[in-house]
Amino acid sequence: MLKYIIKRLVFAVLILLGVSMIIYFLVRLMPVDFIQDKINAINQGGATVSEETVNAMYEMYGLGDNSFMGILGGYFKWLGALFTFDLGTSFVYGIPVAQVIFEHMGISFAIALIATVFEFMIAIPLGITAATHQYGFRDYVVTILVMIGISLPSFFFGNMLKDFFALKLGWFPPSGLVDATVTNTGLSLLWDYVKHMFIPILTIIILSIGARMRMTRTNMLEVMNSDYIRTARAKGLRERAVINKHAFRNTLIPLVTSLAGLLPSLFSGAIITEQVFDLPGIGNIALDAMNRGDIPFIMGYNMFLAVLSVLGILLADLMYAVVDPRVKIE
Amino acid sequence: MEEKKINVAEESHDTEAPLDKNVRLMSPTRMVVRRFFRSRLSIVGLIMVIGLFIFSFAGPLVYTAWGEIELDESGKTEYATAVTTYTVDGVEYTVRQTTEKSLKDNFLAPPSSEHILGTDNEGYDIFVRLMYGGRISLTVSFLAVFLITALGVVLGGIAGYFGGVVDNVIMRVCDVLICLPGIPILLIISTALDAPEYGVPAEYRIYLLMAFLSLISWPGTARLVRGQILSLREQEYMVAAEAMGYSASRKIFKHLIPNVMPQLIVQMSLSLGSMILYEATLSYLNLGVKAPYAAWGTMINIISTNQDILQHHLNVWVPAGVCIVIAVLGFNFVGDGLRDALDPKSRR
Repeated sequence: MLKYIIKRLVFAVLILLGVSMIIYFLVRLMPVDFIQDKINAINQGGATVSEETVNAMYEMYGLGDNSFMGILGGYFKWLGALFTFDLGTSFVYGIPVAQVIFEHMGISFAIALIATVFEFMIAIPLGITAATHQYGFRDYVVTILVMIGISLPSFFFGNMLKDFFALKLGWFPPSGLVDATVTNTGLSLLWDYVKHMFIPILTIIILSIGARMRMTRTNMLEVMNSDYIRTARAKGLRERAVINKHAFRNTLIPLVTSLAGLLPSLFSGAIITEQVFDLPGIGNIALDAMNRGDIPFIMGYNMFLAVLSVLGILLADLMYAVVDPRVKIE
Repeated sequence: MEEKKINVAEESHDTEAPLDKNVRLMSPTRMVVRRFFRSRLSIVGLIMVIGLFIFSFAGPLVYTAWGEIELDESGKTEYATAVTTYTVDGVEYTVRQTTEKSLKDNFLAPPSSEHILGTDNEGYDIFVRLMYGGRISLTVSFLAVFLITALGVVLGGIAGYFGGVVDNVIMRVCDVLICLPGIPILLIISTALDAPEYGVPAEYRIYLLMAFLSLISWPGTARLVRGQILSLREQEYMVAAEAMGYSASRKIFKHLIPNVMPQLIVQMSLSLGSMILYEATLSYLNLGVKAPYAAWGTMINIISTNQDILQHHLNVWVPAGVCIVIAVLGFNFVGDGLRDALDPKSRR
């Protein structure tokens, strides 16, 4: 087991190196003059990017030296800084990128967590009924729901919900996180959060539920066709016991593994949904940073996401070994 | 009719006709086609996709009333009424002052016989722009999917066939690429493309972005092809091919790739849907096709700055969204139908 874990860890580090190389290369794609233009634009927009910040960024990415050794040296310097969680200083906010990410992560995390919990609670039972009633009416309904969930673009669906529930019916506020006109405290503040986050969370749930349902259904079908289910039926177990005790427990393996794979999506923020509802989550901040040319922030954000997905894959591998004892540890 | 056929079959059996005259032969392709058309959803999907193609590519040739970037300059009169109340000597007077403003462009026109779906906030005809937007979406996604498939088949095929170090290297590259975040990475690329040094014309941005997206999206296809080839390599007919002394390229392209085709076709039709979504999202974020050119995403982007249109002018943004949904849904239905039809285990 220990050997397996170490092997996976080494792989994760190697993958991270590869990812960081690609992201560093992308920064180097930007001409230095262009970066200077962007900084000037930010300065004209009201914010001030101090000379110090700019120099620190040039220093950090080793920009300016375009020889092969210069790029190589710059890469290792940047990598060294990454290991100390130094992602550079944001042009727009004037504080370290890591701090900006950390400050806005909470909202995105809260939204994603609530959405994920509901998603699992709704998708798993529906996926199971679809599988046990294969080709039946319920299966048909679930299949169509799945398709709709996969096919709807989030910006379109989010705006439709916003138009209907917030603007036409007026049940919920259309955008933002809190009502700026009143100062709320305690329970009323919580209620305000709930009201503001209801449609965004609903959007995310409806759009992501399809994939999860389909996954549960496929796994369940696979398990239902296996020999031990036939054995369970042959020995006269009740159908409910067959499904709940024998079949469902075995579909848990991929579900649990996919739970680990969710790690990146929990922290990364839903860029589009946050943009539609103007929530100050990390995805919306990143989009804004891109529009304003805050290059250190976009780079830091991308690296942050890459680390999360590497961690997610690592966790999924480890979980898989823990949950499924059949996994061969080579 | 049916009975007669059976009789004929029996008759010919008596006269010792060759065996294949007795049995109704059906080629695998015909079986797949038949199974595909038996599913109602596949037919619906096919109709949706073909309909959109005709609408986007033949539409502008038939319906020539307006162009993609042709403003309706027939003018528009806007009335603004201001109400003021005066009280003179205890009597209340209400004065309604209406100002008439003549504007050059006929923007935000409601649907009429002249503009089937009305005009947008600039005065462009929405119906026509839907067609041009469809052209961009469909072209770009097809190109992206072909690129992804080509890369995936070649690299996955090489990895699966040769194994060893080559396989290891390609698979590790896949691992790295899978960890790259899609849209956020495109945010960087898009910023870099803005640099005047590269001089990328606005019309080609979306092609470059999608090409880049394809460059990081091939691992899924490559893994599929590799996995399939790994299992096919152990089949008896491959041993036979080995014994016949066939060349590697003949073994790969004549014996292995055709057997991967079914899964590949399914994968392609499903990824067409996701590429359309990517294109629309990029355009919606104003990274892809930019105004005045039309794309479905760009047409919805209008509402992110103008809440009045979101609420009161549904004809401006809803049709574009419906087109996206039809396109993605259509390709997904076709993909699902193909998957079921190509699966020899499913008997439905």
